Amino acid sequence: MKVKTRRVLFAFLLVLVLVAVAAAMMVIGRGHTVYFDNKTLEDYQGQTYKAFEKVVVTVKDEQVAKLAKRDRGMSIWIGQNFKMILEVTREKGGEAEIHEIDLKLPYSVDGIVINLPALLAELPEEAWFSEFVPAVTEEPAEEVPGEGDDFGLGLEGELGLEDGLGDI
Amino acid sequence: MSEKKDYNYNSPSKFNDEMKTIPPARWPTELEKAQMGTMTAMVSSFGLPRIIISGFLLVLFILTPFVGVDLPTQITNIINRFSWNAVLVLAMVPMIHAGCGLNFGLPLAIICGLLGGTLSIQLGFTGPMSFLMAVLIATPFAVILGGGYGLLLNRIKGGEMMIATYVGFSVMSFFCMMWLLLPYSSPTMVYGLSGNGLRPTISLDGFYNQVLAKILHIKIGNIEIPTGSLLVFALLAFLMWAFLHTKTGTAMTAVGSNPAFARAAGINVDRTRMLSVIMSTWLGAMGILMYQQGFGFIQLYNAPNNLTMPTVAAILIGGASVNKASIPNVIIGTILFQGIVTMTPTVMNSAIHMDMSEVIRIIVSQGMILYALTRKTEGAK
Amino acid sequence: MNGKKNIPAGKRLLELVRNNAVPIMFIIICAIFIPMAGFSPSYLLNEIVTRMGRNLFLVLCLLFPIMAGMGLNFAMTLGAMGAEIAVILVADWQIWGIPGVVLAMILSIPFSALLGFICGTLQNMAKGREMITSYIINFFINGWYQLIVLYVMGAVIPIIHASIMLPRGYGIRNTVSLLNMRQCLDDLLAIRVAGVKIPVFTFLLVGLLCLFIVWFRRTKLGQDMRAVGQDMEVAKAAGINVDRTRIISVVMSTVCAGFGMVIYLQNIGNLPTYTGHAQIGMFCIAALLVGGASVEKAGIGNAFLGVILFHMMFIVAPGAGAFITGDSMVGEYFRVFLSYGVITLALIMYEAKKRMAKSKAGQELAAAQVKKEDA
Repeated sequence: MKVKTRRVLFAFLLVLVLVAVAAAMMVIGRGHTVYFDNKTLEDYQGQTYKAFEKVVVTVKDEQVAKLAKRDRGMSIWIGQNFKMILEVTREKGGEAEIHEIDLKLPYSVDGIVINLPALLAELPEEAWFSEFVPAVTEEPAEEVPGEGDDFGLGLEGELGLEDGLGDI
Repeated sequence: MSEKKDYNYNSPSKFNDEMKTIPPARWPTELEKAQMGTMTAMVSSFGLPRIIISGFLLVLFILTPFVGVDLPTQITNIINRFSWNAVLVLAMVPMIHAGCGLNFGLPLAIICGLLGGTLSIQLGFTGPMSFLMAVLIATPFAVILGGGYGLLLNRIKGGEMMIATYVGFSVMSFFCMMWLLLPYSSPTMVYGLSGNGLRPTISLDGFYNQVLAKILHIKIGNIEIPTGSLLVFALLAFLMWAFLHTKTGTAMTAVGSNPAFARAAGINVDRTRMLSVIMSTWLGAMGILMYQQGFGFIQLYNAPNNLTMPTVAAILIGGASVNKASIPNVIIGTILFQGIVTMTPTVMNSAIHMDMSEVIRIIVSQGMILYALTRKTEGAK
Repeated sequence: MNGKKNIPAGKRLLELVRNNAVPIMFIIICAIFIPMAGFSPSYLLNEIVTRMGRNLFLVLCLLFPIMAGMGLNFAMTLGAMGAEIAVILVADWQIWGIPGVVLAMILSIPFSALLGFICGTLQNMAKGREMITSYIINFFINGWYQLIVLYVMGAVIPIIHASIMLPRGYGIRNTVSLLNMRQCLDDLLAIRVAGVKIPVFTFLLVGLLCLFIVWFRRTKLGQDMRAVGQDMEVAKAAGINVDRTRIISVVMSTVCAGFGMVIYLQNIGNLPTYTGHAQIGMFCIAALLVGGASVEKAGIGNAFLGVILFHMMFIVAPGAGAFITGDSMVGEYFRVFLSYGVITLALIMYEAKKRMAKSKAGQELAAAQVKKEDA
């Protein structure tokens, strides 16, 4: 093979490898925030699923939340296959049941809310899954960056030193 | 020993010969003009970037009535800002003529002016007298600091521009410390609570705000012209022009365009360069005082840095190059640059409700400087 | 020329001092300031180790243009800007942790390479004044960067999360939180020794870059670059494509700077969108110069030494300034002054030394001429 063809081939292969790695990273690295609700699910197909007395959620060998009735806990998770261990006490004074849960998290959703009673009752996904929409906080009128100051006109703030250089 | 080469292949990145590699601005020779088409000849005479920028400015002017911007106000603004900046741009001329390159060390000159202004207020002068005193006090500073700066530049012939930039930064940051430490006490200038150290912005109301602009102030319709400032600029420009035609002035030009010839002709190159640096520093000090009287505020700390790039860009837009500059360059360049800076925000804001002016200003001014730096050398076409 | 053995030891010491004046000066400054600032040694050590991990990659990428004779690359911020754009996108797509960092690095490559190519081409058009050109290119491209991040992102380039955009609906906010990437490279394989956290993995990456640089110098491309750096005309006569080699060196530098910036950002944990890259070039160059490098010669040792000394000065100067004058603001300005002062001094000394060498060479040549004429 001529040297030039070899070079082009290597370059092409390198680009291909990089793209493949990038794609892999996008799948592996997708971060989600998972919220668990210990809330009574009312009136799903006529059934009510009561909240548990106490639920202890363990994710990756670390206790993440201890939920009483109507509590919400959260955990972050990287990747699509979410694993958690629930230690459920259904009634007061009852026995603790241990459940291992494996969930597939949908790629496009950032924040996932899981209703625990519904989940443990093995209802279909639409029952216990909902999307977390963060409350849009009203940002205080931020000064648009990159604009000159009010005196307007001759000064370019981008040059030189900002006061208090900060960390480098 | 230092013959003028096109560019020195042997030390491509060294400071040495950085300066000599930059071609003087020139109109195309007759032969070249004959070889190009008339359009190309006109374009290359005037310079492509200047045409682009003038065109852009023209477009902005044409747009003003359509987007509801008040043209007379804009014209007033442009004239005002011209009067503030013109002397600063003029300060570039001596050093360019003497071959010391673009004065990226302008903060040094500005600080002389700042010292003059603050000391004049500190000593209790008010009104027009404070301006006069500021000029008088700034002068010895300019001579001394300019002299030192000149000595330094003489030791590093060839690498002036880069070192000038950093000398400017160093001096400016040194004075950032000084503004805090020097025993200023005038209540209008120092921080209220601690009483120590100057405030970053000092208002000039009651001092020399508008002191020149108000002299012979003319109002034509809605357009206001600060005749006083323009007259001062005209005076200084005339003095500069006259100087360049004296023996010392011509010597300076010789040193800039052909140091070997100058030396052979018996001109003391070092002394001439030193003189040019002192002149530049003094004019820069005057320039910042003019700017302040128009603007109305003294700005300390890191503010001097913000004026260097616009000034360099302005003179380059006016057609100067790194070792040749003339008074028309100063005038045209300042008008064009300030025109862009004034018109873009207002017109853009009214037209598309998006204020891109800051970004456009950066791109235009830096692009202009970049163009000047990357122009092909004379022989290598 | 006399052999080195004939030069007395005192003179040799003098010459050693003169050649390494800047690092020695900095050692003295640090030695004076450290006790004044009053920090505990473990705090200092921790800070230095952190800053080394953060900045070394960036400083090392300056070596490529110096090798190719293009001087100090003030435009390495172009790589930083490319990395910032990549990081914004990755943060928006919610890719966290190490995969996020890897993705950001890969994504930064096309941006950095393109910007490096532009920079290299422009510098080729300005042979003989590459440094000031790179200085201006830095500001020029900054304008374009601001244009993209302030106006195009959100409007033309889709940004999913409104939380990183400005309230007006397009343009990125002043700071983008990188909480989910924060320190993830550093924490990987971190060792804690006596209160000092050593980010082993980051140092591994730095080490890999050092190995790469050493290996690269031996490859044909590396040799070509050094030849171009020594003498462009001779290299051209030898058949090396001078322009292409110079562009390649700048592109390599910019792409590495992109990676370095990603490392830097993951350490800091948030992205100051508009000011993050502003001082990076200046500080990395200052650090390299402090380490004893010069405009035409720089090595890995210079980078390491320079980062340690420069950042040590940076940490203790405010405290020392406050100690001397009682005002901490003075201290902050003082360290800025020192940073700039050191670069100025290094540039001046380099220039003066060259003129001395040139005039000495000229004198020797003249003397040889006279001798030849006499003979």
